[in-house]
Amino acid sequence: MAFPGQPVPGGGFYQGGYGGAPGGPAFPGQAQDPLYGYFAAVAGQDGQIDADELQRCLTQSGIAGAYKPFNLETCRLMISMLDRDMSGTLGFNEFKELWAVVNGWKQHFVSFDNDRSGTVDRQELEKALMNMGFRLSPQAVTAITRRYSTRGKITFDDYIACCVKLRALTECFRRRDASQQGFVNFQYDDFIQCVMSI
Amino acid sequence: GGGPPGAPYGQPPPGGPYGGGAAPGGPYGGPGPYGGAAPGGNAPPGVDPEAFSWFQAVDADHSGYISVKELKQALLNSNWSTFNDETCLLMINMFDKTRSGRIDVYGFSALLRFIQQWKNLFQQYDRDQSGSISFSELQQAFSQMGYNLSPQFSQLLLSRYAQRSSNPSIQLDRFIQICMQLQSTTDAFREKDTGLVGNVRLSYEDFLTMVMTRMM
Repeated sequence: MAFPGQPVPGGGFYQGGYGGAPGGPAFPGQAQDPLYGYFAAVAGQDGQIDADELQRCLTQSGIAGAYKPFNLETCRLMISMLDRDMSGTLGFNEFKELWAVVNGWKQHFVSFDNDRSGTVDRQELEKALMNMGFRLSPQAVTAITRRYSTRGKITFDDYIACCVKLRALTECFRRRDASQQGFVNFQYDDFIQCVMSI
Repeated sequence: GGGPPGAPYGQPPPGGPYGGGAAPGGPYGGPGPYGGAAPGGNAPPGVDPEAFSWFQAVDADHSGYISVKELKQALLNSNWSTFNDETCLLMINMFDKTRSGRIDVYGFSALLRFIQQWKNLFQQYDRDQSGSISFSELQQAFSQMGYNLSPQFSQLLLSRYAQRSSNPSIQLDRFIQICMQLQSTTDAFREKDTGLVGNVRLSYEDFLTMVMTRMM
């Protein structure tokens, strides 16, 4: 079965992933990468950033554009989405990957936010999710839009939080579906850990 | 590993969700900037006068309802930080009968009793009375609650919910958040596992739906 993740314009998946060691310039020219500048400015000696530092980093990189910067909980979610070694922090390569994914989602959001209000309505959220390839049941869509909307509107930050959760869950599922059948047998312990690590 | 045969799941916390007792005070979940209770005459029938006066203090815009934002200002951890947004949202959703994203005085009153229940448990598991729960205390808490979860999982929760430090530990708000999510995740799983075998087969769509409708 096809998971969301076939590259689509502004899609929900990013097939990047650079090689090299975590933290520190991994290849010539990386130090000139403007993103590396933002990253290095907040990362400590260990070359890793936590949620607070990520929030600062993303704000400085201007990815939120005219929208309000991300709140801390959303940053924490973003880290857990890519935090493969479960350290609670991101190295530069993971940060780069994150930046590209979020940028893609942002383009999507912008294309729906016609009046530049910084919010979209429920129908637009539903359309955006479908375009990103997330096949959700009607109940799931209702629950999501209810959860993420305030007075019928969804802010950019909440939209990103929603995308992060969906993507993290998808990764979680996909890792366990080795044969790509679209079904997974979950043991209770594993299910709990999977869901609560997001 | 799993639990004993026929019992793969943990138990809900001891006691019913709604105990009796006074509103929380002291260093845990205290009234925050509002200090002691204001004179609370004319409490609605069935509502504790202390809960009512606290409600009036927290309902900053006098709308007759308490929002997530207002609730957040009223609840404190032992380190004086306000409760985090996610926990406030989870609790509001739990006691919000109208699905409006806010609670009335009855919902608030029940919520206070709920918090008191969790506060009592928290203080019990906080063996060294440090005001927060460490890795070993968390392990013990899960075990006593009847969950059979790996140390790796507790470690994951700490890295996710605790502040980064040499000795990470969890405040009351995140403890409540973790336990509420554990319960609701367990309920979601149990619903599908009709044979009680500790194992379910889920399609991708079912999986997403289960999580997104429950774990909000």
